Amino acid sequence: MTAAQGITSLGRWGRERVEGMGRSGRFIGYTLVGARDVSTWWPQTTLHARELGVRSLPIAMYIALFTGIVLSLLASYSFTGAVPLYFVGTLVEKTITMELAPVLTGLALAGRVGANIAAELGTMRVTEQVDALETLAYDPYAYLVVPRILSGTIMFPVVVGLAMVVGILAGWMASIALLGISSEEFLKGLRLFFTTFDVRYGLVKSASFGTAVTWIGCMQGLSARGGAQGVGQAATSAVVYSAVMILILDAFWAVVWLLGRTP
Amino acid sequence: MKRANDFVVGLTMLIGAAIIVAATLWVKQADFGRDQAIVTARFRDVGGVRIGTPVVIRGVRAGKIEAMELSDSAFVLARMSLDPEADLPVDAVVLLNESSLFGEWQATIMSRDAVGRDPDVVRQISETSRGGDVLPGATLPDIARLTAVAGRIAGDVASVAERVQVAFDEQAARDLRLSVRNFSELSTILAQTVREQSNNMTTMSADVRGGVQSLVRSAELLRAVAERVDSSTTRGEVRRIVDDAAEAARQLRETSRRLVGISEQLGRSQGKLESFLATSDSIAQKINSGNGSLGLMINDPTLYRNADSVLRQLSVLLADVQKNPRRYISLRIF
Repeated sequence: MTAAQGITSLGRWGRERVEGMGRSGRFIGYTLVGARDVSTWWPQTTLHARELGVRSLPIAMYIALFTGIVLSLLASYSFTGAVPLYFVGTLVEKTITMELAPVLTGLALAGRVGANIAAELGTMRVTEQVDALETLAYDPYAYLVVPRILSGTIMFPVVVGLAMVVGILAGWMASIALLGISSEEFLKGLRLFFTTFDVRYGLVKSASFGTAVTWIGCMQGLSARGGAQGVGQAATSAVVYSAVMILILDAFWAVVWLLGRTP
Repeated sequence: MKRANDFVVGLTMLIGAAIIVAATLWVKQADFGRDQAIVTARFRDVGGVRIGTPVVIRGVRAGKIEAMELSDSAFVLARMSLDPEADLPVDAVVLLNESSLFGEWQATIMSRDAVGRDPDVVRQISETSRGGDVLPGATLPDIARLTAVAGRIAGDVASVAERVQVAFDEQAARDLRLSVRNFSELSTILAQTVREQSNNMTTMSADVRGGVQSLVRSAELLRAVAERVDSSTTRGEVRRIVDDAAEAARQLRETSRRLVGISEQLGRSQGKLESFLATSDSIAQKINSGNGSLGLMINDPTLYRNADSVLRQLSVLLADVQKNPRRYISLRIF
């Protein structure tokens, strides 16, 4: 290998590393530009909000239900002896509201919503429907991407908020039925350290998850190449990157919003 | 279709928002449209109290801390909303204290007389008493401060122990060991004495217990006899017993007389029996000596042999008769 070839390989490696970031930045830029075309994306928004949000409610409720039950049992198991059992309510409220409802719902919706968007847009890309939109003078970002990201950003907090309520109710019922904790005790623990910040924190976090999941799904879908195999790879990548991004955002919000904060 | 989508999404968002807001308000126990009595208290320090901390009057939750702000002269003003029905005690003060070991705080409104004599609390209350509508307040030490004080006390105890160790030299230790040894011997002797006396006491107590039991049994017998005598005298049984005894004596005399008669008859029978036995003995002696016919029959074997010979010949004869009956029997009808 000559020195020129070595330098070329190094340059290619660096370009490939930066290329992904550049592509993401360009995608965000096109999306922001497309957001100005309100008449194009506005009629599509509720359609996607229904698909991404309303139809995701059952799976989110299902996850929250069992999470609440398991969390109350886990809390009572951990608190045996030293800690009063009314702290089961505190732990269920804090954990469900601030962490489990947003993250578990986000991960579940990353699989459902992210894969759905990537597969749909990927199919449109490989069958040249996106090119047809451009030919018809439609901005594909305004028509395909903006309404999906907007719907995800709006509907994820709605779904997560309902999951919070269901999870806490499930933990409450499980505490009464399985642990012998009275309703008053559970509510005492629930209210003990409850602040509206807990809910705000969970909802804002879930909104960021919604943005990330839909954005990654759209980007992977529009980047699909080839045929069905490319669409499948795009769907898989969307789910994996969405899950990773959810965990990164979870840590990000914890550092930004919780570090050094007193209740 | 688009209108249907709009409706479903809008309805979901409304319901979700309503449920989340309602649940939050319910958990926060927010009161809307209800008048609240506002009370403000002044503190040097509010410890771990925060917005929403419950306010308690005579152990009953009556409100919560609504707001806190720094005031002049390094004071903190805490604004509390109370139920309008809650009556404040006379000359009220507010104490901030931990309500459990797990970081829960509460504000307790009580009368100044009920505060106690803790000098630190009394000082805080006097410092924050400025008159007007603002109640004076004090903050009780939290667990961390109490632990720090306990740590300081433990340090003092360690210091005292160190001084005692210095004062406790080798001579004192020897004296103490000697005292301990003497005390050990004394306790051994004492234990032995106690053990011996204990045995004696055990024996004595057993004897006393036996004597007492005998006395009890005697008393019971005496009581039973007394009861019987008492009941007999009352029911005429004594007279009947005496009559029965006289009848028994008479029957006994009659029986005795009969026994004397039987005895005399037995004496006579005995004489006759002795005479019979003497005669039998004489006859037996004669038979044994071979005197008389019976003696000869018993003692002479000749008679036996002759009789045996006759029986043999008779047997031969009978066999021949059976074999040749015509030799001996001749039966003719005509």
